[in-house]
Amino acid sequence: MASPIRILTAVPICDGHDSAINTINLEFIRHGIEVVYLGFHRYAGDIVRAAIQEDVVAIGISSYNGGHVEFFAEVIRQLKRRGASDIAVFGGGGGTITHDDASLMKGKGVDEIFFAGTSLADMVDYVKKHYGKRRKSRAKLKPDLLLARKLTQLEDAAGKRSPRAKHQTSSIKHRTSKVIGITGPGGAGKTTLIDELVLRFLTQDRHSRIAILSHDPSVIGEGALLGDRATMINSQDDRVFMRSMATRGQAGGLSPATESCLNLLAHSGFDYVIIETVGTGQEALPFRRQLVDQTILVMNPDYGARLQLQKIVMLDVADIVVVNKTDLERAKAALLEIEQRLTQNKRKQQIVATVAKRHRDAGVDELYDLITQDGAGARPPRRE
Amino acid sequence: MALARGRRAESESESEDTMSKLGQVVEAVEKHGRFVVDQVKRARSDEKFGRELAERWNKIKAETPITRAPTGLPLPRLALPEIDEPGEIARYLFGDGLPGEFPFLNGAYREMYLEPLQNIDQGSHGNKRSTSTNGAKLQKNGARPQEEPTRLFSGLMLAEDTNRRFHFLSAHQRSKRLSTAFDGLTLYGIDSDAEGVFGKIGEGGVAVDTVEDMVRLYDGFDLGSPEFSASMTISGPAPIIMAMYIAAAKRRFGSGIVPKLRGTIQSDIFKEVQAQNETIFPIEASLRFLCDMIEWTAANMPRWYPVSISGYHIGEAGSTPVQQAAYTLSNGFAYVELLAARDIPVDQFGPRLSFFLDCGLDVEYIALARVSRKIWAIGMRDVFSAGPRAQMFKLHTQTSGRSLIAAEFKNNLTRTAAELMLAYMNGTNSCHSNSADEPFTTPSEEWIRLAAHGQAILLEESGIFKHTMNMLSGSPGMKAVERAVEKAILDEFREIESLGGVLAAVENRYQRSQIQSAAHRYEEQIYDGTRPIVGLTRYRNGSDEMPEIELARTPRSKQRLQIERLTKFKKKNADKANRALDNLAQVVDRGENSFPALLEAVEVCSLGQITGRLQEVVGRFRPMV
Repeated sequence: MASPIRILTAVPICDGHDSAINTINLEFIRHGIEVVYLGFHRYAGDIVRAAIQEDVVAIGISSYNGGHVEFFAEVIRQLKRRGASDIAVFGGGGGTITHDDASLMKGKGVDEIFFAGTSLADMVDYVKKHYGKRRKSRAKLKPDLLLARKLTQLEDAAGKRSPRAKHQTSSIKHRTSKVIGITGPGGAGKTTLIDELVLRFLTQDRHSRIAILSHDPSVIGEGALLGDRATMINSQDDRVFMRSMATRGQAGGLSPATESCLNLLAHSGFDYVIIETVGTGQEALPFRRQLVDQTILVMNPDYGARLQLQKIVMLDVADIVVVNKTDLERAKAALLEIEQRLTQNKRKQQIVATVAKRHRDAGVDELYDLITQDGAGARPPRRE
Repeated sequence: MALARGRRAESESESEDTMSKLGQVVEAVEKHGRFVVDQVKRARSDEKFGRELAERWNKIKAETPITRAPTGLPLPRLALPEIDEPGEIARYLFGDGLPGEFPFLNGAYREMYLEPLQNIDQGSHGNKRSTSTNGAKLQKNGARPQEEPTRLFSGLMLAEDTNRRFHFLSAHQRSKRLSTAFDGLTLYGIDSDAEGVFGKIGEGGVAVDTVEDMVRLYDGFDLGSPEFSASMTISGPAPIIMAMYIAAAKRRFGSGIVPKLRGTIQSDIFKEVQAQNETIFPIEASLRFLCDMIEWTAANMPRWYPVSISGYHIGEAGSTPVQQAAYTLSNGFAYVELLAARDIPVDQFGPRLSFFLDCGLDVEYIALARVSRKIWAIGMRDVFSAGPRAQMFKLHTQTSGRSLIAAEFKNNLTRTAAELMLAYMNGTNSCHSNSADEPFTTPSEEWIRLAAHGQAILLEESGIFKHTMNMLSGSPGMKAVERAVEKAILDEFREIESLGGVLAAVENRYQRSQIQSAAHRYEEQIYDGTRPIVGLTRYRNGSDEMPEIELARTPRSKQRLQIERLTKFKKKNADKANRALDNLAQVVDRGENSFPALLEAVEVCSLGQITGRLQEVVGRFRPMV
């Protein structure tokens, strides 16, 4: 099966009008397109960085607050500067973008502007017709783009292999990064927690680079909304390489290409590689043995009755259990119950209480220390 | 971070009941419904009570002045249903209330848009001529001050350009009611000299970086005049902008001006997180800064509305009308709960809360604001023990921007006219009518004039609203919509309550996802024909040309000028700014009321400097999708 078209959509800086793009995103994914959604109020630099890392074929920008001529031009200028001018740019802005503006913008390299009244079907058709194949690039690929393209090749290759063959590529030894696996049910706050950890990585070690491999569910042959980037604020940084993957039909929280992609990332000079699974169920054990150096299970205090804890198998294998949202009423009881559950295992497991949504949360600090002070896994030599 | 810095008795929150305030509002509204039914029964069974009601009814009718249309036709200044049966009288007086009376279904004030009392007959039985034209006299007994309800939203380029537009717009008005739109940078608390934002300066609204811009913005207006009021549509950085407005007023008129300032600042954090996405600090910190500001203005600026609880953006983001009203009201009750937890008396801040709703073409808008007014009044009185002034739902309405279509855009005049009619049928206290060219640009002068005149034609030229209160209230259709809408709003309240209340529902993005689904359904309905759009899906003339419209775009030279001004300001105040920011950060860290420190900071710091420092202390808002 051919790989889905991947595009990135976003709303420009100082613009919170996301109603149109939300509707359009839904229509795209319904028609088999994978959409990396970067959200609203985004700088041109953040859009370009994300487009490169995610290796999309095109960027769709929805602008309603004016300044679109400059903004679209800035995106194209930065794509060029970063050697990624083969990534196409299209967009719209209801009636705020006039025909004159559109001609001006096309002159600067924008492919298409959709005017008010364009039907959703017309937009989908346009994207399918024009972005089914990537344009030819003449530029020599810069490091992040090169890495991104290799990841795409691995993802495409995984899609073509039979599902049974998926474990064949793993060579997880000799990696140069520490790999942290983060899993847990949907809504536990995994993405927020990762973004807060990234803030600490970035501020406490001025040279480190981090890679994040994040997953969202999708069905074979259908599109996916890859939206984790949209809620991240600290990870929009050149020192963070983030890749969003759709599971493309694989159960268990990861994608058929996760292992090979992880393998590549873990040999690419990052200090840490973080994998985030999709929201998982009680029976999930997403990380195969030795796939990651440290496993973190993130839980919400609202897991239901104590009995439910017995069924969560990740509690047996996680190195660290994070109980997030401990500002909720049930937190105290939850912490106690989980602690008791862990003592049954008689292993050295850590439990950390966090409120990741809170700035400078002491629990997240504690988790950061547990991750960085743990000896497991490799760290690359310091680059100065 | 503690939201409620006040002392709240443990016993009060624990033992009284486990139900949240919103759940109590649902109960109170239902209880009020039962109370009305009981009064109807009692009026029918208790002869004395029935007779008293009938006497009161007849007295109201007898005392209603008679007015004359220009044609000479005599009409009562207040129209009432033709009923004489005590049960029906009870249903009307307790269930709907006279205009200006609880539960305010028919209007927050007694006379709303009526022409000043002059040259009309007094009472139906007498022939006394009244010649009172003094608006001040009308203010007693719940009559509204004589101000035009027209308030047009405006803001473009730099402060002096918007100032010129303000003078143009208000040139022929008795009262000067300005409504300010800020550019995207200001709305997000970013300075004009920040990297990567150049093209956004002065686009979609006015650029404000410093107190000096604020002085220029309202230059030539008497900010302390009882005829003047300023409205500022900004929420994320609202406390900082409010402080700048106060500082600018003090620079021009001295510190004695502060208690005289009249106006509104939007400051609605909940709706930003639910719909409009212009939030800059984490939710809890944003709410804390907001409550700090309200605490200060409620004590020091008795004529200011420090928050405009807004459904407009919820509606524009795609919600149904019922969702709009339900989220707006529940957000309002959540603010009341936060403020009450600080031990601020409800009768001090309650009257300073105002509301802002969208008015579109869906049938719910026939009664949406009427029902909202009633639910607010009952909730405030029965759950929060508020007095009459704090029970009033004071409403600004804007016609729906979403209903305006780029294709064959002149039809937008008709759409807006119909929406205006609905807004006034709902007794809005002030109103903005959209310009027909709004799908394309910041409104140009030609179309903004037509929009303003649309209101004047309805209120001044036509006889629909100026002679008689209740002219169009209470039709069987309107009552049917009222009942259906009220029930649907209470159902929404129950849903929010079951999710743990407003804040918990917001954090779990309940309202956002509801609004997004409704928006998607709306788009689908346009293309499947359920929602016909004239000129787009019906009666299309085939020409897709965009009309020639004079665009309001900010020239680069002006954008550069704004940066030059800001650079100069920052250079001039460099030393003082650092001290003020350090002080502000310490105050915030200690958990004290941040507003006095903001008032000092804006004298020497730019908006972006203050936002930046506050974000270091409390963090940045994490967007929701």
